Amino acid sequence: MWSDVEQKELEEILKKYPTKRSALLPALYLAQREKNWLDDDDILAVAEALEVPVTDVQAVIGFYTLFRREPTGKHMIHVCTDLPCALRGAEDFYARLTRRLGLPSEGGTTADGLFTLEAVPCLAACDKAPMCQIDLQYYENLTDEMIDTVLAQFRAEAQQESGA
Amino acid sequence: MSELVNVTIDGVEVQVPKGTLIVEAAKRAGTEIPVFCYHSKLDPVGMCRMCLVTVGTPVRNRETGEFEVDDNGKQVIRFFPKPMTACTTPVSPGMVVITQSEESIADRRGILEFLLTSHPLDCPVCDKGGECSLQDLTYAYGPGVSQFYLEDKHHSPKKEPLGDLIYLDSERCILCARCVRFEDEIAGDPVLAIDNRGRNSKIVSYSNPKFDSKYSGNTTDICPVGALTTRDFRFGARAWELESTPSVCNLCGVGCNTVLNTRFDEIKRVMPRQNEALNEIWLCDKGRFGHHFNGSQNRLTTPLIKKNGQFEAASWDEALALVARKLELSKEKTGGVAGAHLSNEDLYIFQKLFRTVLGSNNIDHRIGLNANWDDQLAFEVGAGVGTDIGRLKSESAILVLGADLDEEAPVLYLRVRGSARRGAHLINAGGRWTKLDNIAEKSLRYRYGAESALAWGLVAAVLDEGLENKDFVAARVDGFEGLIDAMKSFTPTRAAEQSGVSEDDIRAAARTFAKAENGVVLYGLESGGNESLQAAIKTLLLITGHAGSANNGAIAVLPHANSRGAADMGIVPNRLPGYRPVEGEAGLSAHEMLSPDAPLPALYIVAADPAAQSARYKAAIEATEFVVVQDLFMTETAQLADVVLPARGTAERDGSFTSVERWVQAFDNAVSAPALAWADWLAFTALAGKMGASWSYASADGVMAEITQTVPLYAEMNFDNLTRPISLERKMSHYIYSGTSFTADTREGLQWRSVAEASEAKMPVAFIAPADVPPAEGMTLVAPRVLYDGGTLIAQAEVVSAHIQPAHAVISRKDAAQLGITADDSVTLTVPGASVTVPVRLNGLVPQGIVLVPRNLSGFPAEKLLGSKRLTAVKITKVPVAELA
Ligand code: SF4
Ligand code: SF4
Ligand code: FES
Ligand code: FES
Repeated sequence: MWSDVEQKELEEILKKYPTKRSALLPALYLAQREKNWLDDDDILAVAEALEVPVTDVQAVIGFYTLFRREPTGKHMIHVCTDLPCALRGAEDFYARLTRRLGLPSEGGTTADGLFTLEAVPCLAACDKAPMCQIDLQYYENLTDEMIDTVLAQFRAEAQQESGA
Repeated sequence: MSELVNVTIDGVEVQVPKGTLIVEAAKRAGTEIPVFCYHSKLDPVGMCRMCLVTVGTPVRNRETGEFEVDDNGKQVIRFFPKPMTACTTPVSPGMVVITQSEESIADRRGILEFLLTSHPLDCPVCDKGGECSLQDLTYAYGPGVSQFYLEDKHHSPKKEPLGDLIYLDSERCILCARCVRFEDEIAGDPVLAIDNRGRNSKIVSYSNPKFDSKYSGNTTDICPVGALTTRDFRFGARAWELESTPSVCNLCGVGCNTVLNTRFDEIKRVMPRQNEALNEIWLCDKGRFGHHFNGSQNRLTTPLIKKNGQFEAASWDEALALVARKLELSKEKTGGVAGAHLSNEDLYIFQKLFRTVLGSNNIDHRIGLNANWDDQLAFEVGAGVGTDIGRLKSESAILVLGADLDEEAPVLYLRVRGSARRGAHLINAGGRWTKLDNIAEKSLRYRYGAESALAWGLVAAVLDEGLENKDFVAARVDGFEGLIDAMKSFTPTRAAEQSGVSEDDIRAAARTFAKAENGVVLYGLESGGNESLQAAIKTLLLITGHAGSANNGAIAVLPHANSRGAADMGIVPNRLPGYRPVEGEAGLSAHEMLSPDAPLPALYIVAADPAAQSARYKAAIEATEFVVVQDLFMTETAQLADVVLPARGTAERDGSFTSVERWVQAFDNAVSAPALAWADWLAFTALAGKMGASWSYASADGVMAEITQTVPLYAEMNFDNLTRPISLERKMSHYIYSGTSFTADTREGLQWRSVAEASEAKMPVAFIAPADVPPAEGMTLVAPRVLYDGGTLIAQAEVVSAHIQPAHAVISRKDAAQLGITADDSVTLTVPGASVTVPVRLNGLVPQGIVLVPRNLSGFPAEKLLGSKRLTAVKITKVPVAELA
């Protein structure tokens, strides 16, 4: 399951920790990087590489929302709708975004498979609401226009990739 | 003795060792603090907050450091502003604990209200109802109403298989993690975990197969609610309707204490009976679920006599008259094989029948691969009376040699693991990886066949480094000088060459063992148990002074429930009961009796099925003129018999077994037997009567009374002693609130003393050169024991049928790659004169050059290949798929 590059990265990661088990979170991130979610083989591969029982790996995945067991869109959009953000209009912002992406109120993956939208609790940027995190990048003090621009960029990128 | 501190709990002052947790101290003060996540067998975690109590400590004057006193001269106590968890807070000197303060009671009510937010309140149909901590504590402390919205209750499936044997009902689960912690800490099988978080938390298992542990049933006992139930008992009965009978598990040599819970004359479930010296509060799943041979539909229900090749039902009188007539003719040429599942009483009467009525010493309990193990070592230097293998101190050493305890003696594995976890030095010597390697301080991987070479290597290293216990040697050992001489030729270097274990490792292990305050050696089926090995272990124990006292000595991990008792009762051709040599000539061993070339005129085979094991045995039985078989089932051997006699299962009678740790333990009659089935001793007695003896045994109890007279080792073992209720004091010292609807600790067995402790006499040591030579070339066949084998009794337990291992062979991945074998293949194993074809399994942990074929599997492939050897060179070839079809 590990590509050669990932295998090397994994070895680098393991060097940073006193025990293999400690590298569980970064190893899972690595395993998830390529397709954005973890299938059974990925989990087995992590368990074997780190000599951790499969059940423990599963439980860690279950605990953290950022690990996914289902296929997702190419980009993950997390919009914070926690109380401080909500007070600055994040809930409305989120609702409008679902409509513009053609998604139901609980979010989900867009028909083109490009985005998965999720409402999440505090991302520690309460003073810059409305905000969201797309993949690992924060976007803050958002307006509808701003988010449209960002999404348009991703779409363009995707088109280029498939064109090339 | 560790330092004691005084604490006051609800006004009662008690003295407890420093570091004791409040919850445990409270028990001494006669107070039960309510708990959910805490369990005295598990590490405390403080997860549930049920045990909150009010705690205060004496105030010290800041300047003088003296305790402050009030006007009445009493110490001033300052109470902590917040409640404390009794399960994680250790006591301190002068501590005052109030368990029934208003705040604590309110806290408990609050915690219970939270725990019940999504609880389905289905106690009326819950298996745990009547013995459930949540139910009990809700009655005691819970709120009558809930402030939560009914429609906000979480729902989840009522019956989710967590594994093959255990169901999970998440709605009832209170997330105490006892089940997870049991598997991690006690069983060493980390196969359970809590998935997700918050209200979505849930117990999961993702091992393959799910809940892959031989101890899974225990989680249902310690689960404080009805979230975990067994497939065997689910909706089987209400706990309070069950009757309880103390019994002893008869499925391996550990001898776990059980309670048989019965209703309407049927066993509904088997529960552990607490015995802190033996199984604590645990059972393995085989013991818990393997009881179905009692009351099985397939049982023999009447004596049968073969007429013209057909069995015809007969009365006992007819059948025994025929047997008596025939045995009159064969007399001292009669052969007897008695399986080691039989009780001491059966075995004693069996040998008495042979020795006094028939005048024959042809008796044996060992057939097949166990045929060569004649264990005398435990008689000489058995682990001392009072040895507590589960609680050896950290200054102790445990040497496990050729025993896969997890498979051979599961609860013994838990106990050894427990000691190792708490710091005892565990040396695990084996020819392959076994589960104890996970926790062993040192694993010694020897070449199969070199077990005794390794054991003598340890002796040589002790001598070479002058680590012998000089005082003990002077006082108790005979022939030490001679030993040193004899061992000049057998150095640690030599042992290293022969065994494949490095000299450094041998020396290090010898040092650990010799320097330890206590030392125990457990040796098992893969060790071979031959004379040289027994001599080596005996020598090692004696020269290091690890003999003749508690927590020192040897434990032979013998295969069956009463293998120890069979040796004690003289079910061997060369010894009488109590390890006395026979007068005159020794008789024939089972292997000799079952020889097709020289068949005996008559055989009496009880609770054993040699015909199924090998063609040789089968041919011998066919060639024997008259064969009587006494058993529970129509076995292959029974089919060849002339007379078949129906016996009773363990639960259908009483008697006693002797465990591998030499605990003699009585079991009671719990259910009735098929009308015409008899206890084995009764059948032997009646037969003896027909042959002119006038024995008057009327009960197992009565037989044991005679044993106490004739076998000095068993002098104390009368049923009064064996069934005596345990003392209140003893109960108090280990009391665990288990919630069970019956008294879980009723009696304990008695151990007999080995020679080393029974007298002060010097014991001889002598070098016996290692005998086994490993097969020279090619692959070596080894036959380990697996828990879920093809045994006759366990085969009746449908509930575990998915666990029963079919015939198969295991080889290393590397060998497989070299031989072009994949996991989907079958292989043909060939030795001169025999060959079998079985599916193959690959395992990265098996050493190269080894083929494992577990013993006692269906079709007996290992027995067919090995005969009575324990190792052999074997040729392995892949079977083309086309040929299989
Ligand atoms: S299943 Fe039982 S033992 Fe396991 S966490 Fe839930 S309540 Fe505790
Ligand atoms: S360990 Fe042995 S004696 Fe104990 S329950 Fe299991 S099979 Fe029975
Ligand atoms: S509440 Fe939204 S970032 Fe903190
Ligand atoms: S029993 Fe103390 S926190 Fe659970």
